[in-house]
Amino acid sequence: MMETNAVGTNLSDESPYELSAVVIPLLKGIIYQEDSPALWLALVNLQAGVRDYVAVLGLELMLDEAEGYAFLRSREEDPDVAGTPRLVARRQLSYPVSLLLALLRKKLAEFDAGGADTRLILSRDEVVELIRIFLPAGSNETRLIDQIDTHLNKIAQLGFVRRLRGQKQMIEVRRILKAFVDAQWLSDFDRRLAEYREETAGTRETTDD
Amino acid sequence: MNFDYNALDHLRQTHPAWRLLCAKYAPLTASFLHRVFIVPNVRILAEADLVEALEDELFVLREQMGNDAFPGSARSYLTDWADNDKGWLRKFYPPGTDEPHYDLTPASEKALAWLEGLTDRAFVGTESRLLTLFELLRQMSEGTQTDPEARIAELKRRRDEIDGEIDRILAGDIPLLDDTALKDRFQQFLQLARELLTDFREVEHNFRVLDRRVRERIALWEGGKGALLEEIMSERDAIADSDQGRSFRAFWDFLMSQSRQEELSRLLEEVLALPPIQAMQPEPRLYRVHYDWLEAGEHTQRTVARLSEQLRRFLDDQAWLENRRIMDILHHIETRALALRETIPQGDFMSLAETGADIDLPLERPLFRPAVQNRITETAVDEGDAEVDTGVLFSQVVVDRAELSGYIRRELQMRDQVSLGEIVARHPLRHGLAEVVVYLQLASEWPWTTVDEEHRERLRWRTETGRVREAILPRVILLRNG
Repeated sequence: MMETNAVGTNLSDESPYELSAVVIPLLKGIIYQEDSPALWLALVNLQAGVRDYVAVLGLELMLDEAEGYAFLRSREEDPDVAGTPRLVARRQLSYPVSLLLALLRKKLAEFDAGGADTRLILSRDEVVELIRIFLPAGSNETRLIDQIDTHLNKIAQLGFVRRLRGQKQMIEVRRILKAFVDAQWLSDFDRRLAEYREETAGTRETTDD
Repeated sequence: MNFDYNALDHLRQTHPAWRLLCAKYAPLTASFLHRVFIVPNVRILAEADLVEALEDELFVLREQMGNDAFPGSARSYLTDWADNDKGWLRKFYPPGTDEPHYDLTPASEKALAWLEGLTDRAFVGTESRLLTLFELLRQMSEGTQTDPEARIAELKRRRDEIDGEIDRILAGDIPLLDDTALKDRFQQFLQLARELLTDFREVEHNFRVLDRRVRERIALWEGGKGALLEEIMSERDAIADSDQGRSFRAFWDFLMSQSRQEELSRLLEEVLALPPIQAMQPEPRLYRVHYDWLEAGEHTQRTVARLSEQLRRFLDDQAWLENRRIMDILHHIETRALALRETIPQGDFMSLAETGADIDLPLERPLFRPAVQNRITETAVDEGDAEVDTGVLFSQVVVDRAELSGYIRRELQMRDQVSLGEIVARHPLRHGLAEVVVYLQLASEWPWTTVDEEHRERLRWRTETGRVREAILPRVILLRNG
């Protein structure tokens, strides 16, 4: 006498409960389509509602359907409204970590230009080779590798690389890196480098950008 | 192809197939790869499976040839074979797994096919090949004939031939293929069937090369974006519209048709049952060779679809512009960073937004509580004799009957009758189907209930995982009183 069947989640009435089921995970971190398909679907359907809601918190929803990830970002600060505290904290990064992030971003761009695979997987040795020439030449190889391992751990904590299960020597550069280390961030980095160079050299060299 | 000394020398040094044949351990490599990839028609193998298979192989060989026959470990051989300077295996990480996977490269498959061809065949049929050649020529000349007269004349000629054949058979003259002719054709079939299977890897490889070439062109493009897009998109899809892509699609459409598959199965079965063919002892796998084609073709199909999609993503407006800019900026950064390498900045240098808002409520932290010390005492466990209703264990979802009947009563205070659907609309279901069942139970116990079989109602609810489910049932109406 009774039959049950599933229908789409596009019910017009968005109860606050539905919204919180999506917003709370977003506040906690990145949502990947691959990791949680149900949540992803709900997010895509409730997109507009989520945008409105997080706007109240001074946040902006970044959703990349092609790459399958979404996260919240602090909205560009309004110069008129000063003093709104940030909900999403900014993490301070040391120079080698910043540089390594930039180099990994480059590797990702090259990787995308070169082939069809979506997963960029590097061995620790490759990462060492990537950054080695930018660090002071030293004789202690193992110390260098340890240091780079520490930097990689830091980057893993930020969520941009992850070590492969069962093969700690291999890391995957997560594609979300593209969204954070973008042209804006890189040109800031470039500018910082130029400033730093000026400071240390004490010369009157003018920066070229 | 250039066949002079230098070209061949270069080929011997660089081509993976030739290098495989020259390799010291070629018999090991070839026999192993043939056994695990070619014989079972496997495309993708996980590293662990491959290592295990190779270890078994090495174990057997060492039994025969002494312990120091093959010095390396299975894993080291695999790594070596997948290395760029060998290129016998393609190593890659499929999405969603951290384990490397392997597939044969087309080059090593070619070497294996050549080795297979080395062994003498019982006889070489030439008649069937000649017929195949004729057929191909006929198709080409006919398929490009634009003059309708000529086409019709050709068709008529063939119809006359068929009519003649029908007449001859009616007259009792049935021409039969003799055994030799049959074997000849079967051998030809075998060879083509196997080659087709071999070709898939090459087709896939060609698609990859094509994809890479398009990407290179994009990456090195100096002009405006519009011109590039025009060039690439003028072919609707760079990969699918290539010669390779079209031929493959035609093949695929042909193979995918239900009637073709049935026809293939039927013909294969009939042919393989013929006594002269049985005498040749064909491999049992031949019965399902078209499924092998399907399997291999599907793999290629998926690769092509994925390549096309990723290429589109790569061409995507923003990513494209951003990538160019990023490479420019990175060039700057590298130059500057190199200049700084003896005096690298200490302390914090850049900042980056975190990936989530870390909401840390101080009051949520638990207060200090001394750790509970578990004292383990020895007590003999006695069998109890209490009568316990074990049914409780099975009714973990608690639906409050009193609450539900309260809803019904409240609705009926305002009007004379109410349907189940209306009640549920006002009081959303929280326990899903279980709650619906309780409602039905309540309705059956209600003194004045009618069921309207003519009309149906939908009850909807959302499960814990966020999916919406619905139940369709006849309209149940509850009345205040008779």
